[in-house]
Amino acid sequence: MLRLEKVSVDIAGAPVLRGVDLVVPPGARVALIGRNGAGKTTTLRTLMGLLPARGGISIDGQPCTDAPAHRRAALGIGYAPEERRLFGSFTVLENLRLPAEVLKLPEAELKRRLEMVFGLLPELREFGPRKAAGLSGGQGKMVALGRALMVGTRAVLLDEPFQGLAPALALRYAEALGRLRALLPDVALLITESSPDLLRGLVEQTFVIERGEIQPAAA
Amino acid sequence: MMAWLSDNGLLLGLAVLDGLASAASIFMVAVGLNLVFGVLRILNVAHGSLYAIGAYTAASITLFLTSHGLPVWLSFPALVVAAALVGVILGPLIERVLLKRVEKQEPVLQLLVTFALFMILEDVQKLIWGVQPVSNDTPMRLLGTIDVPFGADVIPFTAYQLFVLPGIALFTLVGLAWFMRRTLTGRVIVAVTTDREAATSQGIDSAKITMLTFTFGAMLAALGGALASPMSSMVPGVGASTIVLSFAVVATAGLGQVEGAAIAAVMIGLGRSIAVYLEPELEVVVPYLIMVLVLLVRPQGLFGVTETRRI
Repeated sequence: MLRLEKVSVDIAGAPVLRGVDLVVPPGARVALIGRNGAGKTTTLRTLMGLLPARGGISIDGQPCTDAPAHRRAALGIGYAPEERRLFGSFTVLENLRLPAEVLKLPEAELKRRLEMVFGLLPELREFGPRKAAGLSGGQGKMVALGRALMVGTRAVLLDEPFQGLAPALALRYAEALGRLRALLPDVALLITESSPDLLRGLVEQTFVIERGEIQPAAA
Repeated sequence: MMAWLSDNGLLLGLAVLDGLASAASIFMVAVGLNLVFGVLRILNVAHGSLYAIGAYTAASITLFLTSHGLPVWLSFPALVVAAALVGVILGPLIERVLLKRVEKQEPVLQLLVTFALFMILEDVQKLIWGVQPVSNDTPMRLLGTIDVPFGADVIPFTAYQLFVLPGIALFTLVGLAWFMRRTLTGRVIVAVTTDREAATSQGIDSAKITMLTFTFGAMLAALGGALASPMSSMVPGVGASTIVLSFAVVATAGLGQVEGAAIAAVMIGLGRSIAVYLEPELEVVVPYLIMVLVLLVRPQGLFGVTETRRI
């Protein structure tokens, strides 16, 4: 379970999150909707430990507000940022393997997870030997999702996954997220988007964030 | 042209051999500087001081060995031991105590801090090794000279400059390229260099990797100095001239380039050396002339990649 309790974050002296409370239970599919600059990305980056925050952040009851950010992957949190942030000089396969190798997963487990990712996103098997720098934006988003799933055994955080996707790719991406529910029922999904329409049928709970605050009525 | 070559052929041959040896030493310093900049995004002006301290330390170890009656061949491993000592002691110290504290500050402040460190390390060198030239020619004398045929002439050249220095530089180049591509630690360094935040999200302890890479970069600088120490006496200020040359190599090659740094080091080493033999007054200018010419045509350097930014 991911939990944010009264979490506030300032960036360059300006408050971006103001006392955010958010709970994502195991296996839950949760959407965080908000306009540009509302604090969606900041919420995910804060959960990932990438920003200094006040308040309480815990993962499965384990307090981790001040824990080093790199420990999140070991806690089973996968993250696909909005701009993909793949390592361009690596192949797709190297990008997918990297977080699992860093966690020193046994090769058999790493391959099992890779097969799971290929089962969910079959195009990634075909992209495998290609350099990540040569992928289109949409293909890159697929790889970023696959990479997040390689370590996201508890939760996967997806930052505006549909942003900039061509309609056909968006459909495939949504289908993959739909299949994820059956494949990994215990893995929680927290997805941010600017429009709730894109996530229809994919989430069971929607929160709205505005000016760094979760709106109570929308929960 | 042929007449010019027959008049100056011998000098040109000497210049080429000298230039390659000098390129080998500069390459190691420049590639270390490149690695450090990659992970820290700080242009470390004090990198040249690590070269100088590596050279002085190698000389001190060799002096210790010879004055204690130990086998002189130990002066070869002493070069590598000196580099390792300097890297392992000074690398983490500088990174943790100083650079880590300014890694999120403005580049101007970072530059000032590394410049201050450079000044401090220059004084430390004078305190420990004095201001008189220090030499370390034992390894070079041990290997003797080899007659290199050059056209109708023969150039006697030291085996150390001909084989040891370029050999170690080549080994460093191939080894580093292999390490970065084929090992997990290498890929992790590349990941942190490419995108620190994304690397951290993938479970990489970026702070630890930065310290490790800085130490490795410091070691390469010290190795460059240690390997160059048998070729010329060390005097105060050697660090300053080295760092400026390394900047020229890095700028010519493009940031983040290992193989590119090797080619740029050869270009600059050869250019400088040819100037020394043919037009000595141009020696200081040639490396920067090469750099400026390259940057005018390709601002990202010969092998650098232009970063695209989404707007």
